[in-house]
Amino acid sequence: MRVKTTEKTRQYRKVLLLFAVLLLTGCGVSRVVIEGSFPTPNVSKLPLTIAVYYDPALRDYAYIEYSETGREEFNIESGESHIQLFNAMLPAMFDKVVIIESMEEAKIRGVDAIFAPAIEEFQLALPAKTKLDVFEIWIKYNMRLLTAEGDYIADWVLTSYGKTPQESMRSAEAAINAAAVVALRDLASSFSLSFSQVPEVRDWLDSI
Amino acid sequence: MELVRDEIKPLTVSIFLLLLAALSSCTSTTVDEFRQGETGIESDQSIVILGRRQASDYETRSEFVSCVGDRMTRGENPINIVPEQEFVDAMFPWFEPRTAPLRTSDLERLMAEEVVAEKMAEFGIRYMVWLDGFTETTDRSGSISCAVGPGGAGCFGFGSWEDDANFDARVWDVGTQTNVGTISTDATGQSYLPALIIPIPLIARVEANACLRLANQLKEFVNGS
Repeated sequence: MRVKTTEKTRQYRKVLLLFAVLLLTGCGVSRVVIEGSFPTPNVSKLPLTIAVYYDPALRDYAYIEYSETGREEFNIESGESHIQLFNAMLPAMFDKVVIIESMEEAKIRGVDAIFAPAIEEFQLALPAKTKLDVFEIWIKYNMRLLTAEGDYIADWVLTSYGKTPQESMRSAEAAINAAAVVALRDLASSFSLSFSQVPEVRDWLDSI
Repeated sequence: MELVRDEIKPLTVSIFLLLLAALSSCTSTTVDEFRQGETGIESDQSIVILGRRQASDYETRSEFVSCVGDRMTRGENPINIVPEQEFVDAMFPWFEPRTAPLRTSDLERLMAEEVVAEKMAEFGIRYMVWLDGFTETTDRSGSISCAVGPGGAGCFGFGSWEDDANFDARVWDVGTQTNVGTISTDATGQSYLPALIIPIPLIARVEANACLRLANQLKEFVNGS
């Protein structure tokens, strides 16, 4: 026995399929890839050649925010945007910047120092949890400065913060992205203005 | 026949506009000005309006900042306004929430930086206006229920709320690095949402009124009138 598919049946199927897709979308984790543009800092350049080493942990950095029931709510991928930020910021701070794939490469390149940033902690505060009308992001970094041979020069902690107000016509994903961009700009501003004031860095700059 | 239709069109538009005006909720706005110094601006000079974003629980919306700036470029004696984002990006990292000057003494220190002074001169900034404030919704009351059935859909009920917009504008003279005055705006308005099958929003344009009044006052203030 063959069932004839009428136009109406086809339409019902389409509606059901759309409904099922919507239901499944509602259950999944929201992926947020941080995107933004970062201006070049207006600071005095230091006469140094710096090698930058982006650890795979930084390149692929992602933070997962869980809901109160333990379900994965947001997957925030910020590794690529951090690299974009450092690539915009460092050439404005130093005479020459080279990106290296391994620590050993620095010796061959004859650089003054190796800079290796790392993300230690990432926190997200959502309005639904804090009862405030703002999305907030805190990021804690560990900044390391090493000699070309890999010996310690300085190792310091830097925190950045970004917030953005909750708006009725904006999705949570867009608000998280906006707060993260503010946090990244905050990192760039505090890093570029405080670099030569870090005691160990200051001592090292005086010694060369 | 064509003539009759042409006569009806403006009449219909007028009635619609009249109804819209009658239905719009009222807003009351108070503007206070406190002058601390002489002001005046040349046609080749400009001002920058920046939003304060240091508070933990709110931040001055960039839409309000651009609304005030946009209004100041219109009408009689228009002022050259440097867009906030363009200025902040060009000055990066000196005007970020963590690094922006909070007092005029901080501006003095900032202007000692060669790169900052150069950029300021490039933009031709005469005054820097710091906007600080937000719009708060209070006294929400009433309820509206909506239902959908095979015969159609509809809503029934009544809702109302009050909006209160409070903004302060501090005007800094970049040349003398002093605070030349403060203008405060307080706008309040009650909005209503009656629903009898279709909800009819009667929204008080509180923030828009605060923006308009503040922009007009600021324009007069920097022009020295």
